[in-house]
Amino acid sequence: MVLSIFKVLWNNLKQGPSTDPFPFGETFTPARLRGKVAVDPEACVGCGVCATVCAGNAIKHVERGDGSGKDFYVWHNTCTFCGLCQHYCPTDAIRLTNNWSTAHRNEDKYKMKEHEFVAYARCPQCDQAMPNMPHAMLDHIYGAPTEELEAIYKLCPECRRQKAAQQFGAQIHD
Amino acid sequence: MSIIDAIKSKAVRSPWLYRINAGSCNGCDVELATTALIPRYDVERLGCKYCGSPKHADIVLITGPVTSMVKEKVLRVYEEIPDPKVTVAVGVCPISGGVFRGSYSVPIMLDDIIPVDVNVPGCPPRPQAILEGVAMALDIWKTRI
Repeated sequence: MVLSIFKVLWNNLKQGPSTDPFPFGETFTPARLRGKVAVDPEACVGCGVCATVCAGNAIKHVERGDGSGKDFYVWHNTCTFCGLCQHYCPTDAIRLTNNWSTAHRNEDKYKMKEHEFVAYARCPQCDQAMPNMPHAMLDHIYGAPTEELEAIYKLCPECRRQKAAQQFGAQIHD
Repeated sequence: MSIIDAIKSKAVRSPWLYRINAGSCNGCDVELATTALIPRYDVERLGCKYCGSPKHADIVLITGPVTSMVKEKVLRVYEEIPDPKVTVAVGVCPISGGVFRGSYSVPIMLDDIIPVDVNVPGCPPRPQAILEGVAMALDIWKTRI
């Protein structure tokens, strides 16, 4: 009975301290921890659903005046790490990393932001600017897209309509 | 002068922390308690210790959006803390208003009324992030004393 405490002490000695060594050493970060938001501008379609669902109003899309694309801002100082943006993003362009290191001086308050430029795509036929259509979006909508879709998904709505009609007409003709 | 320097070098080793809840939901306060009381995070390794009176405090940790009702009280308690002091805003609420920004009772941010030194955003921030912020505040405090 009395000796059991020695057993506990011995086990504690063997285990070493359970105190996290941070800030003097490395700490353990779970892989699925929800931390700072990261944006992949290549995969973003600029639909703005992340800005709509954002609980803390941290996400902002600003259209550029010259029509070349959108500026994508995430202000970490009002982000609550809720993960709604990640959940609703159709192309997994926005995701929460496990980077929890957020402490900063007050001078850097308005520099604590993620800024990405989401460029608009150009139609290969008529060179008109339109929201970028990543392949991930096509997969999301159609599962496995057919060859016909692959041929027209990069075109602007006007050219796509014409091309689709041509393809359809060719099928009927055959 | 050398005596003052000697006292200074001793004094910087043990700043005392004081907590002000400016209308917080208690999420950040739980994390602050975790940082201090659980041996796993143990803020006392940095020489810090929580104190019950603002008159003993060196580093003040403020949580919560500063609501209209609590604003005057926060200022009154803040005035009681002797100089030099370092202010740390914990959580997104005091920094930007967080999810309460634009609400009728949250007209201001903390740094509109109090000079804030360190921000630790998060809802709530991890205990490690709070430790990081306290370590930053310690660096600032050493330059002020």
